Amino acid sequence: MDMDEEDFVFYGTPIEREEELTSRKKKAVAEASGHLRTLAPWKQEVRDEEGRRRFHGAFTGGYSAGYYNTVGSKEGWTPQSFTSSRKNRAEVKQQSILNFLDDDEKDELEGRTLATSSQFDTFGFTAAELARKQAEKEQQQSVLAPRYGIRNPQIALELWPSVIPGPVPDELVVPATESIDARREARKAFLAFSSNDAKSSVADTEPDEDPKSNLHHLVNNDVKSSRSTPVYVLNPKQDLYGLGYDPYKHAPEFREKKKSRLSGKPEPGNRKALSFKESLFGFKSGKAAPGFGIGALEEYDVEDEDVYDTAYDFEDAQVQDDEEPSGPSVVDHKKRLQWKDPGVLPGFRVATKADYQTERFDPPVIPKDFVPRHTFVTPLDVEKKHAIPPPPEVPPPEDNNLKLLIEGVASLVARCGKLFEDLSREKNQSNPLFSFLNGGNGHDYYARKLWDEQQKRTDQKKLALDGKSSTTVDKMTAESRGKILGERPLDRSSRDSRSSAGSADATLQFNLSDTFTKSESFSELPEVAKPFKDDPAKQERFERFLKEKYQGGLRSTDSGGASNMSEAARARERLDFEAAAEAIEKGKSKENKPFSLQLLELSASGGMQFTSGGIEQGKTAPTEDLVMKEPYPKRQEFQWRPSPILCKRFDLIDPYMGKPPPPPRIRSKMDSLIFTSDSIKPTKLEETVVPRRIQQSSALEVSEDVADREIDVEVPIENVERPVDLYKAIFSDDSDDEIEETSIKKVEDQEKTVEVAHTTLNRLMAGDFLESLGKELGIEVPPDLPYSVNNAKPSGPLKETAISSASNVNILPVEGNSFSSSDVQCVTSSKQGVAYQQEIIKGDAVKPIKGNAPSGSGKYNELPTSENKSTEAFMEKTAQGNMKAKSPPTRVQERSSDSLSEDERRRKRSRRRRYSSSDSHSDSSSDGRDRYNSRSEGRKGSSRDKRSSKRHSKHRKHGSRDSPGRSSRHSSKRGHSEAKRERRKWRD
Amino acid sequence: MSEGELPRREATVLKGHEGAVLAARFNGDGNYCLSCGKDRTIRLWNPHRGTHIKTYKSHGREVRDVHVTPDNSKLISCGGDRQIFLWDVTTGKVIRKFRGHDSEVNAVKFNEYSSVVVSAGYDQSLRAWDCRSHSPEPIQIVDTFSDSVMSVCLTKTEMIGGSVDGTVRTFDIRIGREICDDLGQPVNCISLSNDGNCILASCLDSTLRLLDRSTGELLQEYKGHTCKSYKLDCCLTNSDAHVVGGSEDGYIYFWDLVDASVLSRFRAHAAVVTSVSYHPKDSCMITASVDSTIRVWRT
Repeated sequence: MDMDEEDFVFYGTPIEREEELTSRKKKAVAEASGHLRTLAPWKQEVRDEEGRRRFHGAFTGGYSAGYYNTVGSKEGWTPQSFTSSRKNRAEVKQQSILNFLDDDEKDELEGRTLATSSQFDTFGFTAAELARKQAEKEQQQSVLAPRYGIRNPQIALELWPSVIPGPVPDELVVPATESIDARREARKAFLAFSSNDAKSSVADTEPDEDPKSNLHHLVNNDVKSSRSTPVYVLNPKQDLYGLGYDPYKHAPEFREKKKSRLSGKPEPGNRKALSFKESLFGFKSGKAAPGFGIGALEEYDVEDEDVYDTAYDFEDAQVQDDEEPSGPSVVDHKKRLQWKDPGVLPGFRVATKADYQTERFDPPVIPKDFVPRHTFVTPLDVEKKHAIPPPPEVPPPEDNNLKLLIEGVASLVARCGKLFEDLSREKNQSNPLFSFLNGGNGHDYYARKLWDEQQKRTDQKKLALDGKSSTTVDKMTAESRGKILGERPLDRSSRDSRSSAGSADATLQFNLSDTFTKSESFSELPEVAKPFKDDPAKQERFERFLKEKYQGGLRSTDSGGASNMSEAARARERLDFEAAAEAIEKGKSKENKPFSLQLLELSASGGMQFTSGGIEQGKTAPTEDLVMKEPYPKRQEFQWRPSPILCKRFDLIDPYMGKPPPPPRIRSKMDSLIFTSDSIKPTKLEETVVPRRIQQSSALEVSEDVADREIDVEVPIENVERPVDLYKAIFSDDSDDEIEETSIKKVEDQEKTVEVAHTTLNRLMAGDFLESLGKELGIEVPPDLPYSVNNAKPSGPLKETAISSASNVNILPVEGNSFSSSDVQCVTSSKQGVAYQQEIIKGDAVKPIKGNAPSGSGKYNELPTSENKSTEAFMEKTAQGNMKAKSPPTRVQERSSDSLSEDERRRKRSRRRRYSSSDSHSDSSSDGRDRYNSRSEGRKGSSRDKRSSKRHSKHRKHGSRDSPGRSSRHSSKRGHSEAKRERRKWRD
Repeated sequence: MSEGELPRREATVLKGHEGAVLAARFNGDGNYCLSCGKDRTIRLWNPHRGTHIKTYKSHGREVRDVHVTPDNSKLISCGGDRQIFLWDVTTGKVIRKFRGHDSEVNAVKFNEYSSVVVSAGYDQSLRAWDCRSHSPEPIQIVDTFSDSVMSVCLTKTEMIGGSVDGTVRTFDIRIGREICDDLGQPVNCISLSNDGNCILASCLDSTLRLLDRSTGELLQEYKGHTCKSYKLDCCLTNSDAHVVGGSEDGYIYFWDLVDASVLSRFRAHAAVVTSVSYHPKDSCMITASVDSTIRVWRT
């Protein structure tokens, strides 16, 4: 700037630019110029040079502190003039504090000044007399004292009996009418006392004065001084506050406390009694959280109560410690320090010598020969040993092999029981090697070995048993008991029948074991136990459920099996299964009631109760317990939508990216009904308007689309009342997309529309199925699915409306910028459509005229015009070929390399689409509707492709013949809808 | 780790809080610890030297929970004044305040990148707050709980909240699912195992429950202590071998993780042990109590 200015020459002073002055400043200037000065002072506003009003604080005057922000007053603030002449001497003015106080301050001071009031003079006329008497006494004393040579006034006081001991209030507080002499004397006495205090009275006069009398004198002196000096000295200043400052002015409780501490340092229990807690805030528990109060503007409530109820008395004296570090609190400090010692009760010191000693008893002396293990006089297995007399000791046979064999068999038999012996004997009857079993060679040795082994085993068992029974008596089972008693256990085969035996113990065990494994009992269900015969799929799931339930092991995540089932439906089904399974179980254990009947009962009673029949109550008690316990912890899963920004912050990909916002949780059907009102209206309006336009525009076209769309047009008008969520599902998707659209350039791919149509169909069918399923079960399909919204509605109209509205959306852009709506996508895309149209026109009109086609796009545009009469097949080929080439000129930016083959990409997309749930519904449905012919044609991408291209070329032909404008328009429309589709797809 | 290696020896007592200490937490590397309490302050300590480093005051009521970023630069705290304060550690100033909870805030945690703060409130909600933007609104409100949310844990991809309604809900951001494990008992405090596979939930029936996060199975229950009315912390040791929990009678309990036997119990405080925190690496533990002390325990 300076450099620039150097080049110029300026004359005169530059006019200050008016704009530079802020309005505030202007005002200030105006004020300064006296414009406002004429106003009355209370109307004037005080401003600084910037024109701002000064704010002094909400409680300190607001905008006007003092006298209109001055130190002046109404009368003004003029210095006093001083005039003094010889005749008229100016008086020396005594300034007092009252001169500087406001009225209210004076009022405040009123009660605090020390003065006798006339009220106090109860004696009336006797007052004067009293005063006189007093004066006399004073005189007397002042005469006496020097006479006896007593400098210490204490003596004088003793000579003056009446005042000292008892309270004589009348005399003490009479108006002071002492002579100056008396006052002076008293003053002297006081000074003497205070000096006396500092040095000691010993140094003074009376050496024989013992400390006790001294103390006495001190006390006396106190009284004396109270008489002769102003009263407030009674409270000597011991703190560090400013003069006259009373920290307890508004908190007298604290003063009490402090006083009690100062005077005589009472036991700390006192402090508690005086605690501010009780006096200030009445709690039910009488206890606030220790250590702190609350803010000035807050009130105590439940939260501030000491929930921990520790009776922990926090040292609230600590705060006050800082206030008075001087004098008398030294001892106090020490004491408090003691309190702080952990483990010591406040105020108590641990005695160095305990009076009370706990009596201790020495442990009994253990006799030296004591063995800490009990030995039975007769060993337990004595009978057993006696029962089977040991076979005689036999030397082993010479044959080492035989010896080994015998030993092996013996140990085996000992382990497995007699049965094994019998078995092997039978088996090896012919085998000479085993002859020892039948009393042949080596039988004696075998017998001996067997006995040995058996002995060993029983010993072992006994040992184990000993260990067990020593810990708990309960552990002794029937088997062990039997063994001890020498009972022979029943054969293994009989054990299986135990469950049918039906003892209480057995059933319990049965039930318990059932929860873990019950493979046999349920692996093959009897025909009667097929509760879902009518629904084979369900039955299958049920069986799988049973298997999972009773066989344990890892559970597949979708235990419901049907992946297309909603969460709620699955849960519902699971409950059914659970109930059914239990019913089956009961039927099995009871056996007297046919299962189907039970199930009927079950379903009649709601199908969800775990304890259905009243008969089984008693028996199924343990199972019930299990059922009751089992649910915890129970796991449920819900859909949950994290907000996009949360995902971003967690550095995760939003699982719901690009999907419409979830419909509000449907609490009841009434809620959703209520919501349908106002938010729809704008869109509804558009909808009714738009189709009419379409009608008009499409009337021009001779294509069959017209009729089809006209049908569509009717539909939305009929279905006026639709839940809002559907709209959201359709529209908000678009608006979401629009945002992304701008950020990411999408690749256009025409063929994908086929896939879209395809999935649409699937989806619609699936939707119907789901919905009907939901209805069947009488529950709501979870809200994450778009269909859920329409639970109350028949599925047919829903489909139609969805489609029609969607198609409307797609058609809209044809009209250009004809309307503005909440549907941003539509508007912008319509603009695009316009742009696109223009380009097409260019391509159509200009290039053919030129007739020069160096680029692929040109070729495409040329071909239809030049080779009008060529065969369909050729047309198809070229068109198809040009499909790819077509886009670059029209959509240069959006086009990217088609490195992936179409098929591949399609597959991918479809896969992706399967994951995406709700949003795809809306666009895919729109596609499906828009591309009505694609649907009718089937799901073959390639054929659909050809068809569309064929159509395209047909139109082109048409256009070139009749009016290029119309054809271009048509193509633009198509192009636009395609583009839109692309965008959608990419978003998924 | 045998019983001898459990931190049972009282190494230091950190005194300074005036009134109950409601939470004590090690920082990320275990060199410092933070505590907060009924005296409305947050205090930073060096537990190994036993020194008090700094006091943070701004809360209007008791401070219930505090957490520090991994880089030790910021604190987050919450309390009875329904506010959540983001602090600068060094200056001790409040950088931001998050307001929005309708009631007291029970727990608060940073996420891994310190970009989000998730708070659990008495108003039955979990709220996520954005530390990067300046929006005063929470970026996410989870209100599926049906009672006060007492505790919150964050993993890289999940938010886990434990509530008095007896549920532990895991919100998986990555897949957009909410997994609800109903324990049937009011959940006081949840804490993640160090391998992240399990949740230890302290229930008000004086039981700690160990849940497998993937299946929701109840792996083990730890009993013996008293926890019936207060919010008591529990945690696993840094080796995941033991479970540590405080008790209302001032005891500290050590359980074996697998067989749930009480390995050790000792009286640590005069009153309710509100919080325990285990050192991330060493065998060291801090406990906080209503008796206004924080104690450091070592082997």
